[in-house]
Amino acid sequence: MKRKTYKTSETVDFIVVGSGSSGGIMARELARAGNSVVVMEQGPRLAPEDFEHDELKYRNLSGITNNPATNPQTFRNSENEVAKPVSGRNPLTYARVVGGSSSHFNANFWRLHEIDFIEGSRLGPIEGASLVDWPITYAELEPYYTMVEWEVGVSGLAGASPFDPWRSKPYPMPPLPVKSSGVLFERGARKLGLHPFPAPMAINSVFYKDRPPCVQCGLCGGFGCEVMAKSSSVWTVIPEAEATGRCEVRPESYVFRIGMNKAGRATGVHYFDGDRNEQFQKARAVVVCANGAETPRLLLNSAPDGSADGLANSSGAVGRYLMFNKGGGAQARFEHPLNEYKGANVTRILHDFYDSDPKRGFYGGGGFDARSGGPLTWGQNVPKGTPTWGPGFKEYLESYTYWMNCSGHGTSLAVESNRVDIDPELKDAWGVPAIRVTHKDHPDDTKHAKWQVERAVEIMDAAGATQIVPGEIGEATGGVHLLGTCRMGNDPATSVIDKYHRTHDVRNLFLCDGSSMVTSGRGQPTQTIEALAFRAAEHIARFARANEI
Amino acid sequence: MEQSNPSRRQFLTAIGNLASAGWLAMNWPQIAHAAEHAGHSAHGMDHAVAAAPTTFKTLSPAQGAEVDAIANLIVPGGSTPGARDASVAYFIDNALGSFFAAQLPAFTQGLSEFASAYAARYGTAQPFSAAPEAQQIAWLQEVEKTPFFSAMRRLTVLGLIALPKYGGNRDYLGWQLIGVEDNHAWEPPFGYYDIDYPGFEPYPGTKPYTA
Repeated sequence: MKRKTYKTSETVDFIVVGSGSSGGIMARELARAGNSVVVMEQGPRLAPEDFEHDELKYRNLSGITNNPATNPQTFRNSENEVAKPVSGRNPLTYARVVGGSSSHFNANFWRLHEIDFIEGSRLGPIEGASLVDWPITYAELEPYYTMVEWEVGVSGLAGASPFDPWRSKPYPMPPLPVKSSGVLFERGARKLGLHPFPAPMAINSVFYKDRPPCVQCGLCGGFGCEVMAKSSSVWTVIPEAEATGRCEVRPESYVFRIGMNKAGRATGVHYFDGDRNEQFQKARAVVVCANGAETPRLLLNSAPDGSADGLANSSGAVGRYLMFNKGGGAQARFEHPLNEYKGANVTRILHDFYDSDPKRGFYGGGGFDARSGGPLTWGQNVPKGTPTWGPGFKEYLESYTYWMNCSGHGTSLAVESNRVDIDPELKDAWGVPAIRVTHKDHPDDTKHAKWQVERAVEIMDAAGATQIVPGEIGEATGGVHLLGTCRMGNDPATSVIDKYHRTHDVRNLFLCDGSSMVTSGRGQPTQTIEALAFRAAEHIARFARANEI
Repeated sequence: MEQSNPSRRQFLTAIGNLASAGWLAMNWPQIAHAAEHAGHSAHGMDHAVAAAPTTFKTLSPAQGAEVDAIANLIVPGGSTPGARDASVAYFIDNALGSFFAAQLPAFTQGLSEFASAYAARYGTAQPFSAAPEAQQIAWLQEVEKTPFFSAMRRLTVLGLIALPKYGGNRDYLGWQLIGVEDNHAWEPPFGYYDIDYPGFEPYPGTKPYTA
């Protein structure tokens, strides 16, 4: 198929900045609605065969992620400190390829529950946090969760968890085959009276939409899927967007500023092409789907002349309320080999502790899963009391296939001072002002994570583990779930976008990604980000048809 | 010839059991290429042996010998493979000359300080690598908290487990040590505990349903 291309001098209907979980869906839906669309992606477009089974490359050498050598960031805990680069890595990590972080996610697709949208009125206020209701409800988003499951592709078993929110349709595919970690997790949890169930995963378990089932290579999180079984945008909605003949995906196109005219309307985007030449693409409207780090950065770097506050930031909320999803778990060793390096990373989860329970004395809720990690990462750390070198260390290395993780995934409270802004000095390899992260965990998030560690230890003990290593809960120094930094809301004074993802300040500028989220959910935000994208695209296309942009 | 390679045969079996012939015919070239990238297929073991480095390119031979000695005490050989068997020192040499080049100055300075402190401690002109093993172990116990030793330890683990194309994990001996088989795809059962899994039992009051 010959791919559609547009000239920069042509005024396209929409530019979508970012090709990840939300950008891919946004592009497909807007193009299918009859609009001309250009998708700008910072990173390259990789073919299936370009994704390797190479843990060193993807875990240690920024193989497909934002590289601290060329895309540096700084970090600090409070505004009183001078932010500094973090040695060897970036605080905020995302995939920098066509498909964005959907290319390297683990593919845990959890819907939010009804409570997630209304916790502010049910549980708030909480000191030191901004826990508020979403401007939409679960009921409003439910059709779009279903759309994600059927249009993008999710495997799972509907109705298996007594704690599931209501749904209008089952999953289109059965669950993936269970692994030993899932069996042990289920065994331990059931003994405790809990309700583990097959994990919903955005990975094909059978042939679905012309993509094959998972070959169980074991390399999901951090890796691209070379058989296209993982439901990454690059294999799902991006080709479908291009198939309309109205959408161009432009890789290695790094948007650094949104163009604005004197009337306060977006006119297009300034970007660096693959040769680092500056270009400008004209458009009638811009939709930024660049993730919870890069979306606020782009707005803050797009300040109209004379403004120090960035674009679409009359609320001052751009970049604020950064949330990561804090959690705690345990590593456990068993008598026989589990071989966790085989098979999709997660096969069983539980949601018994999803809701925040005031009786615990702190805010927080979450889910648990049984999961695995690659040997290269695993081998870098040893449990307390295990020799770090010599014959004892070697014995530990030889036990790799006997271990699993029981991981808790939980809430992070929105805190106004936790934010993404622009470092006053640091610039990236293109000369674009870099991200500065200011973050300190809310005390309740830390308490909840420690509470999760205790539950994980109990589950692994009940499962019959011969050795359990409780996770250590420290202060967060970064994350991969980048949420809340351009929150949606009805009040322009306290939020950046309205319930249709239109910025309160600029009529033809829309934002949709993890930055839109008002609360963090329980640790697996991607299905919500994709549901928001389907919903937002429907409304944005409606606005375009009605000439209301 | 390709069919005689066990990894490729296993891979084909795994794919064949899961995927329809039509899809496989259409997409096999891509997946085969991806498998080759990972060193799991036609190039296989022979290729890894042929490509394993035998000379140091970044470190001097003397430095390489010291690194090799330290690495082989971090993960000793014996009845199962150790760091020397897996050519970890060549991984470190390659890493410091390429993707970890930024660490080279600190590493060589750390190695130099390690050597001079060792010489002063034992009053010898002989290198650490020439010492009796008991003395080597005693010295490492004295310096195990230093940044240089931490770097050595990290690089040793990486060199043991990273793909052979980076210079270590010779013949996948590192994977053999930790019990990881060299294959590109798998099918259940994966481990001991999922062999006899009876199936998911629904909870009272729930009605799981499928499409």
